[in-house]
Amino acid sequence: MTGAEREAIQHRELYSARSPAAIVAASVVALASIYLLFEVALKALGQDPWLRSPEEWWAWSAGLPQAAEPVLLVLVGVATLGLGLYFLLAGILPGRRPRRPIADPRAIVVVDDPVLASALARRARTEAGVGPEQVLVHLYPKAAEVQLRPTSGIPVNAEAVRRAVEQELELNRIEPRPDVHVRISESGVVGQ
Amino acid sequence: MNQTPRGVNRTLLILLGVLLCATGVHLLLLSLGGSYALGWTRFASIAGGHAERLLAATTLPGQPDSWLWIVVAVALVALVLLMVWWITVQGKGRTGTYAREYYDDGARGMVELGAGVPEQALRAALAERHDIVSVSISVWDSPHGDAGLRIRVLPRQGAAPLRIAEDISALAAGLDRALGRGGPVVIHLAAGARARMSRADRVL
Repeated sequence: MTGAEREAIQHRELYSARSPAAIVAASVVALASIYLLFEVALKALGQDPWLRSPEEWWAWSAGLPQAAEPVLLVLVGVATLGLGLYFLLAGILPGRRPRRPIADPRAIVVVDDPVLASALARRARTEAGVGPEQVLVHLYPKAAEVQLRPTSGIPVNAEAVRRAVEQELELNRIEPRPDVHVRISESGVVGQ
Repeated sequence: MNQTPRGVNRTLLILLGVLLCATGVHLLLLSLGGSYALGWTRFASIAGGHAERLLAATTLPGQPDSWLWIVVAVALVALVLLMVWWITVQGKGRTGTYAREYYDDGARGMVELGAGVPEQALRAALAERHDIVSVSISVWDSPHGDAGLRIRVLPRQGAAPLRIAEDISALAAGLDRALGRGGPVVIHLAAGARARMSRADRVL
């Protein structure tokens, strides 16, 4: 496996392929084409149209400003614009998945953010000596946020927790390493 | 690891998105009325007149309608087929054959290893682990070289990702040695409802 091949496969794992949007788009175009094909075939065979013949559709669209209800036009226009924006943004935005790569000599390893977050949460709570319900870790693309509710009367050293979480990230070879922020809540928990 | 044509996806999505956005803006402008709506009606009737003349010019004597309609119908069939192709290539590349080899040494036939071989081997090796909720293994065609393995692991809550990844990577290297293959291996440590509901691993 060459380096370029590795890169390509890793990129595929980390970015979305936009398959759902592609399937919706293909279905929309296919359905519209099938209807139009039906009318065109009737026309080519010299039969009566089903709903409207292609020429009647064109004349109908030309007369839209006079014939159609403006409110209806606005509604259909907004719906079309919305669908168009959905496809356009799906095509343009990178579509990064909430995953991170881990360096490995043989395999391409990717880890979902929630899996990493739960590993960080375990490390944070063993460091702080609190229960599992008192720690919440949230991973953002470039930061990790640790929220900790200490047990009443037992202070928690935020700096030590931060260092431990950073060490855990380093141990798991997460590159680039997100910044760690620790927030200790003001109120404690009783009876943990 | 799959062979979804991502460039095609993006290009067609952008194309369709621009087209639909333009139509939407056009409809909104029409609803305002005024000079844009008037201009559109005028333009549409002029274009319609041109099209009618073209259709009349392409009608063969003795026929009710223009042969251009048949051309349009063929083009629409092609478009529908293109869309069907576009849907079928999403997530393509999964295969049931891990390896296939033909030895020309007098014996007849070929040796084929199904996707079940690496799957059962890895499953058996990982069965004893406590920090894994479940594993699923799939085999994928590689454009060049040996077939690729995709190993999706649901780790138990709080399990250290690197330890699991390293162990599975070592297993994959062992599999390479045992089967004489060396295709790409993807290890995906996934989050899922089953992993969230399972109890946390107590062993530190």
